[in-house]
Amino acid sequence: MRLRPLIPAVVLCINNRERCAAIPRDYRCGVPNRGLGQPNLVRVFDIGRSIVRVLTGLLLASSLASAQNGAPAPRTSDQFSFMQLLADKDLHDIENESWNAYGQFTYISSWKPSFSAPYTNLNGSINSLLPTAERSFTGTATLYLGLRLWNGAEAYLVPELISEHPLSQLRGLGGGIQNFELQKGGTDAPQIYRSRLFVKQTIGLGGKSIVQESGPLQLGTHYDSRRLVFVAGNFSILDFFDTNAFDVDPRQGFLSLGFLTYAAYDFASDARGYSYGGVGEFYWDDWAVRLGRITPPKDPNQLPIDFRLFKYYGDQMEVEHKHNIRGQEGMVRLLAYRNRENMGRFSDAIAAFQADPEKNATTCTGFNYGSNNADAPDLCWARKPNVKKGIGAFAEQYIGHDIGVFTRAMYSDGQTEVYAYTSTDRSATVGVLAKGSSWSRPKDVVGIGGNLGWISNVHAQYLGMGGVDGFVGDGAITAAAEKSIDLFYSAKFGKIYSLSGDYQRVVDPGFNAARGPVNIFTVRIHGEF
Amino acid sequence: MASFESNRSCVYTLLVGLVLLSFWPLLADAQQQPSGFAVERFYQSAPGSGWFVMDDLDIGGRLGGALSLTSGYARNPLVITGPDSKQKLAVVSQEAFVGIGGAITHDRFRGYIDFPTPLVVSGTSGTLGPYQFTAPSVSLGTNPDTVSDPRTGVDARLFGEPGSLLRLGAGAQLIFPSGIRADYVTDARYRAMFRFLAAGDVGAFRYAGQLGVHVRPLNDAPVPGSPNGSEFLYGIGGGRRFAGPGGWAVVAGPEIFGETAFRSFFSGETGTEALLTGRLEQTGTERNLRIKLGIGHALVQNFGAAQWRIVFGVELFGHK
Repeated sequence: MRLRPLIPAVVLCINNRERCAAIPRDYRCGVPNRGLGQPNLVRVFDIGRSIVRVLTGLLLASSLASAQNGAPAPRTSDQFSFMQLLADKDLHDIENESWNAYGQFTYISSWKPSFSAPYTNLNGSINSLLPTAERSFTGTATLYLGLRLWNGAEAYLVPELISEHPLSQLRGLGGGIQNFELQKGGTDAPQIYRSRLFVKQTIGLGGKSIVQESGPLQLGTHYDSRRLVFVAGNFSILDFFDTNAFDVDPRQGFLSLGFLTYAAYDFASDARGYSYGGVGEFYWDDWAVRLGRITPPKDPNQLPIDFRLFKYYGDQMEVEHKHNIRGQEGMVRLLAYRNRENMGRFSDAIAAFQADPEKNATTCTGFNYGSNNADAPDLCWARKPNVKKGIGAFAEQYIGHDIGVFTRAMYSDGQTEVYAYTSTDRSATVGVLAKGSSWSRPKDVVGIGGNLGWISNVHAQYLGMGGVDGFVGDGAITAAAEKSIDLFYSAKFGKIYSLSGDYQRVVDPGFNAARGPVNIFTVRIHGEF
Repeated sequence: MASFESNRSCVYTLLVGLVLLSFWPLLADAQQQPSGFAVERFYQSAPGSGWFVMDDLDIGGRLGGALSLTSGYARNPLVITGPDSKQKLAVVSQEAFVGIGGAITHDRFRGYIDFPTPLVVSGTSGTLGPYQFTAPSVSLGTNPDTVSDPRTGVDARLFGEPGSLLRLGAGAQLIFPSGIRADYVTDARYRAMFRFLAAGDVGAFRYAGQLGVHVRPLNDAPVPGSPNGSEFLYGIGGGRRFAGPGGWAVVAGPEIFGETAFRSFFSGETGTEALLTGRLEQTGTERNLRIKLGIGHALVQNFGAAQWRIVFGVELFGHK
């Protein structure tokens, strides 16, 4: 049961890695290359501006456009990696790779002080965030292995290890879950699993030649700016959809789950966040269109996969356009999804309970979450093939050197239960990210963002009657939007490591104004090679 | 008297109850449930090493590497015989896996990793004597991302040159516990192997052999058909090479391999298999391909030594 797709961040970097080969390095793709690692901001920034002032600036986002300059950049060639080491010794052609191997490890420790809650797990419902102080952690280690099979074909294998302990067994929060690494069903004991195994075939259609730099899940190569890409296998849909070009690497960026993708994007995936299926992409210079069909789990938020891709599936389509505004790169995307899964509608669960109170949460005969509330409806009485739909938009814009803003929002129909991601039915996020070249720490990252999540009226009615879904259900509810902010600073030290401090505040946790607010403090250490 | 009879009846009832209670632990123990273990004893050699289990020790050149994909199916890898020596229970009757591995070589050294994934592990549950065996039920749908006991290792060619009459080497590997014991894919304990390797080319004849130790902490004795702790590894393989055009060749011949626990040396749970292998390979260039096929049968059938087995492998390998 995983909540978060492991590391779309790697792919987040892919768009940024695209560079026009024929253009001088500093003016690739027709605009100045404003890599975060370049300390040329001195002209624009007074290097004496302190980190405090930058943070203040971030908090006053409206002034950022004029106050900051540059755009966050992907992993650069001056960063340490095993592949770069081989290339430096002339043992590996990193620009035209036949194979590569990268790795990372991350440890995240969170602490949640006690908070105010007039009730918890009322009447036997089970999905409250516990009001007592708690500690949570995740430890992950990942190997990214890539191989060129033939011309245009790449294969990737990603084994991963995770050990974790969530807050309150991962219950009681919507998109405000504090650590995107957490998986449903994870354990303190390390688990090794295969997160990805897929083949990607690229068919060039002409246009400019684009340099694709070597990195995790990406062989160093050249692509046509106009091309078709087909992917088949086992992957996270976030490897290809809703990739955020300057969200840096999630393992160095925002920690909250709400910033990984749309909190309301209930993409089909197993408990760890991965799926089987296929994706097709069509790139035409600044435009891209993506289509994907992937497998859902057999039961909501569980690990076993239902491979009947013609009966149960998650379909998504995304249109993307890259642009420049006054020389600053930006991107806009529209994403729509439609899932057909064996899931329960809230209205059906309520109707079944009202027609026969024996059909409550304690008498379920099928899959259920184990609620002990005998006076509550339960989705187990309503599961049948149903459709969930949603549409969302994403925009990011570099507003200066080393700084960018982004926003995303999605509206899902909210009639059916969460099947894979979060309980949120509608979400909106805004954030600002900057790198620290202005204070002579060009590899540091700082960010602040806010996330709003709502549930539909019928979802609130179901929770108010004591029902539970995959993550929330206090036994009662004073329905409200779940609001969270995430503020972090990630400092790079040495060639491999980065250390982050993070603060999150979640107001109305689990969409319940009667509980909270909750403060969460997090420390993260991350290494990559 | 009526009162005495009544009391006597109560006393008898109490005594019977006490007797039953005194036997309760024995009754409770009567049905023990084995926890499962890593049933597979087809311990593959490193990616790029030619044979399925043996190692050709053809390590050389500058920086090089190998990638391998191996898939196999084993029939009845765990059949347990009851105390009467007649009743048999195929706790694991089917086992299919796919493994993906990669190796890096330099000069005479090789480092490698291998990630096996169980595709199917299933069998029949039942009771044999005091043991209640629960068969595994693993499939790609229920376990979509399981990696069972991945391993990493190093090998070194210590004596002889690639293609020479005699090559000697040594290898060590560490096996990481991953998966669930009840699925019969892991011991849930770290394991290690240390092997002495030999190989050589005599004209068109190829041979390889190994002796080693499998450090296996799990000892489930006296549960029948279960690991008895650390094991002695042995194996030998040989075949003839038939050269073809364009650097291609076919090497065909048997591999015989097995293992026995030190605690019950060549008795108890010893397993030995013979695998008839054939491989089509192109060697001698910077990028080489090898396609392997093996069909095997147990010579001494115990856990892990399947009644019969079919294995398929593809290797890409080469060096600068």
